Amino acid sequence: MIFTPEQLEIQKAAREFVAKHVIPQAAEYDRSGEFPSYLLGAAKESKVFAMAIPKKYGGLEYDSITQALVCEEWSYGCAGMGTTLGASMLGTDPLLVVGTPEQRKMYFAPIVDGGMAAFGLTEPGAGSDAGAVKTTAVRSGNEYILNGTKCFITNGGYASVYLIVASTDLSKGLKGLSAFIVEKGTPGFTVGTVEHKLGIRSSNTVELHFKDAHVPASNLVGAEGEGMKIAMLTLDMARPPVACAAVGIARRAIDECLKHLTERFTGNYPPPQTVQFKLAEMHAQVEAARQMAHHAMRLRDTTTSYSMESAISKLIGGDMVMSVTTQAVSLMGSYGYTSVIEKLMRDAKIMQIYEGTNQVQRLVIGRGLLTQAAKHMQKAV
Amino acid sequence: MPNCLVCYKWTLDERDIKINPSDLSLDSSRAKGKISDFDRMAIEEATLIVEKHGGAVEALSYGTAAVKQSLKDTLSRGPGKAYWIADASAENADAVVTTNVLAAAIKKLGSYDLILCGEGSSDAFNQQTAPRIAALLGLPCLSFVNKLSITEDVVSVTRKLPDRTEEVSVRGPVVVSVLSEINKPRIPSLKQVLGAAKKPNQEIKIADLGLKPEDLQPKTVRRSVKGFVMQRKNVIYKETNLADNVAKLKESLAAEGLC
Amino acid sequence: MNFKLTEEQQLIQQSAREFAKEYLEPLVAKMDETREFPREVIKPLADHDFLGLHLSAESGGVEAGCVTYITVIEAISRSCGSVASIMNNHAMASYAIQRWGSEAVKKQCLPAMVKGEVLGAFAIYEHGPTPGIGPMAVVATKTDAGYVLKGAKAYVRNAGKAGVYVVTAVTEADRPKTAVAFVVDAQTAGVKVGERIATMGLRGCPVAHVVFDNVVVPQGALLGGRGTEIVNRTLALGALAEAAQTVGIGQAAIDHAAAYAKQRVQFGMPVFNFPAVQALLSDSNIDCHVARLALYHAAQLVDDGEPFEVESAMVKSFLARLGSKLLVDSCQVEGGMGFVENMPLPRLFRDIAGTTLLDAPADTPERAIAMSIA
Repeated sequence: MIFTPEQLEIQKAAREFVAKHVIPQAAEYDRSGEFPSYLLGAAKESKVFAMAIPKKYGGLEYDSITQALVCEEWSYGCAGMGTTLGASMLGTDPLLVVGTPEQRKMYFAPIVDGGMAAFGLTEPGAGSDAGAVKTTAVRSGNEYILNGTKCFITNGGYASVYLIVASTDLSKGLKGLSAFIVEKGTPGFTVGTVEHKLGIRSSNTVELHFKDAHVPASNLVGAEGEGMKIAMLTLDMARPPVACAAVGIARRAIDECLKHLTERFTGNYPPPQTVQFKLAEMHAQVEAARQMAHHAMRLRDTTTSYSMESAISKLIGGDMVMSVTTQAVSLMGSYGYTSVIEKLMRDAKIMQIYEGTNQVQRLVIGRGLLTQAAKHMQKAV
Repeated sequence: MPNCLVCYKWTLDERDIKINPSDLSLDSSRAKGKISDFDRMAIEEATLIVEKHGGAVEALSYGTAAVKQSLKDTLSRGPGKAYWIADASAENADAVVTTNVLAAAIKKLGSYDLILCGEGSSDAFNQQTAPRIAALLGLPCLSFVNKLSITEDVVSVTRKLPDRTEEVSVRGPVVVSVLSEINKPRIPSLKQVLGAAKKPNQEIKIADLGLKPEDLQPKTVRRSVKGFVMQRKNVIYKETNLADNVAKLKESLAAEGLC
Repeated sequence: MNFKLTEEQQLIQQSAREFAKEYLEPLVAKMDETREFPREVIKPLADHDFLGLHLSAESGGVEAGCVTYITVIEAISRSCGSVASIMNNHAMASYAIQRWGSEAVKKQCLPAMVKGEVLGAFAIYEHGPTPGIGPMAVVATKTDAGYVLKGAKAYVRNAGKAGVYVVTAVTEADRPKTAVAFVVDAQTAGVKVGERIATMGLRGCPVAHVVFDNVVVPQGALLGGRGTEIVNRTLALGALAEAAQTVGIGQAAIDHAAAYAKQRVQFGMPVFNFPAVQALLSDSNIDCHVARLALYHAAQLVDDGEPFEVESAMVKSFLARLGSKLLVDSCQVEGGMGFVENMPLPRLFRDIAGTTLLDAPADTPERAIAMSIA
């Protein structure tokens, strides 16, 4: 991937922002698990949370490759803070895919103004089985009344706007799901317990509770029954940025190893061949994952159907960063176990889990392959 | 200085037994042996008594050839000597056969001030061993014991019954069966485990007990043994308000007729 | 070829498992959160004879052998990796003292170590040009009365809680420099334990750098053996002990993940029923099983008095590659629930990353293994 001068400028600016606002604070927020509210203030002027939003709504309308570079830099600095950005983008994505101009205007405004979005799909009984969503949305006059519980929702405690998937017809299963814009402060809509996590600890992960929450009917995005379709399109968009975040974490792991080795190894004591080779393998893996992530990001801008590539990028990125960071801890011994390197390994784990576990990614890829093969068979016949 | 004897059973560890979900048959092929749970407490109680009052603890078990595996385990828990009867008849023995054998063995071994058993075994839980042995030996029997103390030759116990508690004292030799709550068996230290090999054990042959063939004929016949699987409902109440959760739980329990 | 533990070893394993359940499980989550040293378990460990497993009966130990030792460590690690770390580092120090210490030093240290009154630490790793061991930065200068030690050791486990340090050093006077080892009382003037270092896991086991600032030790404190032999042999045994920790923690994770998968219903059935989930569990179980066999085999070689350093290196290398993978995959089976800190898997994930570390120059095990072939 060759970058334009504009893209390189933006990458440089992102790197500077991260060096100034993310890296110095990352360890402290990881220790405490507190949400870094200061970051929103720092990010507001740059409008980075609105980087995917079209200019006509006040966003930066960065192309996907530019977004990829920014995502990588943020997670290079701290995966927790990178997830805060990434999840807001995930929350923004549905309205980039569907929605009326009025809905888009309403939804994008707070994000352009420096706020965040959140995507509410997962429930205690609906994890990988996203179609098992049980939160209900019952039509009543010109409103929908929402009841139910969401869990593991990133940014849930701090977002201004939410895209909530709820069932308008439980009897139809996943075909009965619909997507709703829910605004912060809606009566009956509360934020529940905060989860303390192994990694990405500064990212805000919460339950959302809907108890007779009244939402205007005009907040229904798309038509009733299109909720799952919208969710899948959203995840297709959001998975490659996860791969970019994974690349950022992995690149940081290698950089930290190199930094430590150059401090330790001076002059006559180069690192043993095994260490050099292991680092070489790690770097090759990172580079390969980056190329796949960027390829999937390019497809976002140029194709409508890229589910397979999106899943591949997330699968490869997630497994790669887990392997690279584990290797980094082991390679750096006690230093690896007691420095930022151990945080990277803890942060890496979630990349195999959220936005569809890597098992779900394999399902998507596998199904895609079988469908393609079947088509070929039909053509042949 | 009481002379104590503990009767214990070597059973299979039920945690290792797998239940075949299709026909509820049991697969015990990977099950390890263990001292029956309540019998552990009986051994511990005897050991505590002897630590406090002096005297001696011995252990006795009747089982299949597997009973030999129990010896070091038992001897690491306090008893100074273990007696064992290994016979194929144990495979299908019921409470009648078991207690015929144990009582005959005890008569052969001599007199004891205190004979302890677990209230029931981990596998069958018939609760018949202590009463039957007592009857066969012409001794009093104290069951459901959760507290025991000795002063001179008087054994005083607390019996925990379903609807009340009794305090009972008995003078002279007595058979006692204990509940699991009577004590918490100490974990054998490594020295105790390694010391078990140095303690004596003695086989008693069933042929030497002077029993008639009909004494070894079980009066109850086990037709089949099946597993029991508890079906869980897995209901979770996750209202924001704890009071709402309690209300929902109460509602559901009432619907089941439980409150 | 006998793959069974003896009756005694099985009973000892049973005692260790019950001990872990009763004394360690109640405090393991809290200890992980607060990083507090579990002072209250030291006496119970000693009372059950867990602190003198390979020490002679003369010192109050159990002379139980290596297979028994790793059986105990694996059983303890199923519940608590931190306590196993404390025990391992204590054991390395006491082993070195028993094997190479003078009669006086043995009498002075070992009975107290068996009783848990004094904990041991094996201070060997250093900062410096080469990672891990040697060239030694701690220098021992001969004096009339004994030696003076000057230098620093890095990442000493049990630092701050240990009453006695076994410290490796190099003698200044000799050319080429000779590696030696000393028994140093923690109270000796000049022994400075640095600030506690925050570790990823095994948080109940304290780690700190220790400075030896002109520490005066008597002649009797010198361990009678070549420094390299003391280091290599003790570390080879320590590697087996760490492998036992890894296997214990790994198995605990696999068991927890399997139990979770059996009750987590998605797509209308327990996720345990999905072949992909079974594959994750199965592969993990295979790795753990194979590692365990290699480990117990190496331990048996120790008990038989046969060379075992290559086998120990193989086990260490195998688990360095696969130890963390056991946990990565077990966490994966639990999905989001494998990532939240009020479940045990995240702690096991963080603990196991610390039991498979290569603190030696990274190619040390591979080199030893390759040299042994043909």
